[in-house]
Amino acid sequence: MAKTILIVDDSESIREVVSFTLENEGYKVLVGVDGKDALKFLDGTEIDLIITDLHMPVMDGIVLIKEIRKMEKYQRIPILFLTTESQAAKKMEAKEAGATGWIIKPFVPAKLIAAINKVIR
Amino acid sequence: MNNEVKSKINSYLTFKLSSEYFAANVSKVLNILEMTKVTKVPKAPAYMKGVINLRGSVLPLVDTRIKFDMPETEYTTNTCILVLDIIINNESVHVGALVDSVQEVIELDDVNIQPPPTIGTRYRSDFIEGIAKVGEEFIMILNMDLIFSTDELNLLKESFVEGQEENVK
Amino acid sequence: MDNFRKKFIEEATEHISELEKALLELERDPENKEIVEKVFRIMHSLKGGGAMFGFEKISEFTHNLENVYDLVRNGQMHVSKDLLDATLASVDHLTNLLDDDKVTLQSTVDKHKELTNKIGEIIALRQAISVESIKKSKESTEVSPTAKSAKEDKSSTYYILFQPNETIFDNGTNPLYLLDEIYGLGSCMAIPHVTKIPDYSEIEPTRCYTYWEIFLATSNDVNSITDVFIFVEDECTIDIHKLSDTNLLSNKQFLDKLEELHKESKDIGINDLQAFVSKLVSSKTLKEKKAEERAVATSKENSISSIRVSSEKLDTLMNLVSELVTTQARLSLYAEKASNTELIAIAENVQKLSRQLRDIAFSIVLIPIENLLTRFQRLVRDLSQDLKKEASFIAEGTDTELDKTIIENLTDPLLHILRNSLDHGIEDPITRMKLGKPRHGTILLKAFYSGANVHIQISDDGAGIDQEKIRQKAISKGLITADATPSHKELMDLLFLPGFSTATNITDVSGRGVGMDVVRRKIADIRGEVEIESKVNQGTTITIKLPLTLSIIDGLLVKIKDTFYVLPLTSVDKIYAADHSKLVNTFNNLIVLDGQQIPFFYLRGEFDIEENKGKNEQIVVVRYEDKRIGLAVDTVIGEYQAVLKPLGKYYKNQEIISGATILGDGTIALVIDTNKAIKYFSLQFSQNVTPEDKK
Repeated sequence: MAKTILIVDDSESIREVVSFTLENEGYKVLVGVDGKDALKFLDGTEIDLIITDLHMPVMDGIVLIKEIRKMEKYQRIPILFLTTESQAAKKMEAKEAGATGWIIKPFVPAKLIAAINKVIR
Repeated sequence: MNNEVKSKINSYLTFKLSSEYFAANVSKVLNILEMTKVTKVPKAPAYMKGVINLRGSVLPLVDTRIKFDMPETEYTTNTCILVLDIIINNESVHVGALVDSVQEVIELDDVNIQPPPTIGTRYRSDFIEGIAKVGEEFIMILNMDLIFSTDELNLLKESFVEGQEENVK
Repeated sequence: MDNFRKKFIEEATEHISELEKALLELERDPENKEIVEKVFRIMHSLKGGGAMFGFEKISEFTHNLENVYDLVRNGQMHVSKDLLDATLASVDHLTNLLDDDKVTLQSTVDKHKELTNKIGEIIALRQAISVESIKKSKESTEVSPTAKSAKEDKSSTYYILFQPNETIFDNGTNPLYLLDEIYGLGSCMAIPHVTKIPDYSEIEPTRCYTYWEIFLATSNDVNSITDVFIFVEDECTIDIHKLSDTNLLSNKQFLDKLEELHKESKDIGINDLQAFVSKLVSSKTLKEKKAEERAVATSKENSISSIRVSSEKLDTLMNLVSELVTTQARLSLYAEKASNTELIAIAENVQKLSRQLRDIAFSIVLIPIENLLTRFQRLVRDLSQDLKKEASFIAEGTDTELDKTIIENLTDPLLHILRNSLDHGIEDPITRMKLGKPRHGTILLKAFYSGANVHIQISDDGAGIDQEKIRQKAISKGLITADATPSHKELMDLLFLPGFSTATNITDVSGRGVGMDVVRRKIADIRGEVEIESKVNQGTTITIKLPLTLSIIDGLLVKIKDTFYVLPLTSVDKIYAADHSKLVNTFNNLIVLDGQQIPFFYLRGEFDIEENKGKNEQIVVVRYEDKRIGLAVDTVIGEYQAVLKPLGKYYKNQEIISGATILGDGTIALVIDTNKAIKYFSLQFSQNVTPEDKK
C-alpha cells in the first residue's frame, strides 16, 4: 500500500513542487496550508511522514510539531521541516520541539527524496 | 504600537544633580549602576568622563553636571550611573550618565506636568519637557534624547560661557 | 519553481563572473588548455541549467558557445581575437538574459541576434580552414582518466560506533534506516550490541537500548558517512575512525580477527583493531604504497575545494572567536594568580590554540584584493578601446587582504579613479609618442601594508594634473582669491571639492565633477584617507590609506599612571628604558637611542597627565611612515591579544584612540592608533613656537 506524506506550507509553489515530486515517486500526498489546516488530517488517518515549513500564518511549524508530538498516535511519526541555511536558531528550536530532520531550501527534487529516504522506506 | 504606549507611560525616575531635582522617563533608563572604575579617554570634550566596562561592553560615560554647567562631580557613596538608551539619528545608542543620587520612580499624570517656563530658568526650554511639583520640590523633566545627542557643551540659554575647545581636528 | 530559479540565478551569476575572469586570463595566455576547459565547462553548466529552470534563451545561446569551445579544447580551433571579443560581449549579454526585466528589451533581443550571428560566423570560418591534428590535447585528457580509475579502486575502511540516545525514537527517527543508508555506501558489516537492554520487567518499549559497531568499506569520503547521521547528531554518539586506505572487508585475516575480538569481549573497540590493521598494512609492498600515494596526489590536485559560507555564519564565528580570546585572557590571568603550574601550562596551551583559531577565522573573513581585479581589468580593457587609447593594467601586492565589507565599499571609488585615469590621465597614442612616451600607457595598482594600515595606490604615467590649471579653476569658482598662493597640498586638496573638475571635455565617462568628493566621502566612511599626487606630463598617483579593522589585534600593553594602553604590535619596533630627565624639558624632543637621534613624544604630557616623578620610564619606538618615533610610557607590561571594542558615537571625533579592550580583570585599556596619534602630536608640536608646557 502506498505511503502517505502530509506537506504543510503556506507557499503554493512549494506545495506544488513537493506534491508533484512525491506523487512521481509513488507516494500519496496530503496538503495543508498552515499548521491549523494540517491538524485536520491528524484525526487518526494513517500518515507516514510530515513535511512542514516553519514560518506560516495562523499556526507556525514549531507549534505544529509540538502539537503533533502530543498526540498518542503520531508521537513517533517522522517529521521533516523546511529551513533556509541561515536559520540556525530556528533549526534548534524545531529539533527541540521534536522534529526528526530537515531539508534546506532551495532544494532540487533529488535532495527532497534523499532526505525522505532517511526517515521512511 | 509601542510609540503610543510609550507616550502614555507616566513613570519617571527622579535624580539629583547638585541641589536640583530632575526626572527622566523610565523608558530611557536601562539600568542604574553604582559608581565604578572609569577609564578616561584623552583629548575628549570635558563632559566625557571616560568609558566603563558594562558586562563586557564599553560604555561611554557623560558627566551630566558638566553638561548642566555645574562644577565637576565630587563622588559620594550616592553617586550613580544611569545607563540610558538614547536615540541618535534613528539609531539606539547606549550611554552612561553620572548623577549625584537617584531618588525613586514616580508616577506622574499628564495633568500634573506644566510646560517649562520660557523665562526665569537657566536652561534652554527645548531640553526640558516639563516641570512637575512633587511634594515641596519642583522637578524638571528632561528630554534625554536631545540632551545626550547634542554636541553642545552646555545647556544654558545663552552660551556666555566659552565652551572648552572641541577636540582633535 | 521560483526557488529553483532563484538558486539557478545565483549559481549562474557566479559562473558568469568566473567566466569573465577566465576569458581575461585567456586573452593573455591563449594556448592555456586549462582555461579553455574551464570556459567550456561553464558554458556546459549554463546550457544545462538554463534549460532546466526556464532560461531557454541562455540555454540556446550557450549551446553555440559550448560548441565553439569544444572545438577549441579539441585543438580544432584557435582562440582568436574575434572569438574573445564575442565571448566577452556574451558575458554581459548573459547577465542581461538572467534578468527578467532585461530579457524582453529590444536592445537585448538585438544583441542576442548580433552575437549569435557573430559566433556563427566564427564557426563557419573555422570550417573553411583545414583541421589541425589533435596532438597535445590527447595527453592532457589522458591523465585524468588514470587518476579517476585509481580513485575508483580506492576504498577505505572505516569503523563507526553508532550509539543512539535512549530517547531517539521520540523525534521519529528509525536507526535502522540510517544503517540502511550506511549499507548503501559500500560493503558493510554492522554488529548490533544488546548489552544495554535492561531486564524484561524494566524495558521501556519506546526507548532505544541498542547500539552498533559498523565496519564500512567505501570509496566515498568520510563526509558521506557523517551525512547519513546529519539529522541525529545531537541525539546520539558517533565515533568514526579510518582503519585503512584499503578494503579490509575483503581481507580474510581482518574478518577472522573481527570474529575473534567479537567472541572475546562484546565490544570490539578500536584499539586492538588499529594495532592489528597497522601490522596488516605494513606487510604491503613499498611499491604498491608509492603508487597509491601518487594516485591520491593527482586526484587531490584536480579538485580545488571551496565552499560558500553565509556572512551571518562568519559574523557569528568572529564574535565567538573574540569572546574566546577575551575569556582566554581571563583564564591566563587567573592561572597566574593561582600560581598553579599545571593550570598555567594549560592556559598557555589554550592561548596557543585560540591564537591559531583566531588566525584562521580571520583568514576566512579577510579577502585578498585580487578579487576586485577582474572588474578593473575589464574596465581598463573596454574603456581604453572606447576611448581609442592603449593602456594596460598591472597590479602588485594583490594578495594584500582586507575585510570583505571594506572591499565592497572600495570597488566604486577605485572604479571611478580608474575611469579618471583613462579618461583624463592617459593620453592617446599619438600624443604619447610625441612626448617621447611609449604608445601604451600603464596604470599600476599597488597594495601593501604599512603599520596598522593598508595602502592602495593607483598610478598612471599620463598627463598629470596641471597645478596652474587648478589654481585658475579655483579662482574662477571663487574658492581662492587671485593673489592667493596656496601650497601644493592645498591645491591638490581642492580637487576633492564637489563639482571641481579641471577637465575641459566632460565626457560621458567622468569629469562630470561628481567624482572625487564622493570618493573621498566613501573612503572616509570606512575610516580611510585619500591623497593625490601629480606631476604634469609624468602622471598622477592616488593613494588610499585604510585602517585594518581587524577586531582582534596583537598589541603591546603599556601603562601610564593608572591607565592601560595598547599599541599595535605591528607598529612596534623596539623598546628602550629611558631616564626621566632626558624626557622632559627638551626643546627639540629628540633622544639618542642606539646611537641614533630619534624624535619622541612624552605621552604623559600629550595626554595632559602630570609628570612622573619616578626616574625610570620606557620608550616604545614605533614605525611611522618611513621614520622611527618614540613614545614614552611609564611601563611596558607585555604582549596582549586585544579584542577591539569600539568607543561608540560619543567618541566619534576621537582619532588618537581607535578603540578599547577589556583586560582579564575587567579593566579597560585604550588602544592607540599610533599613526594618527603621531600625526596629531606633530601638528601640535609644530604649531607651538615655544616648547609645550608639560604640567
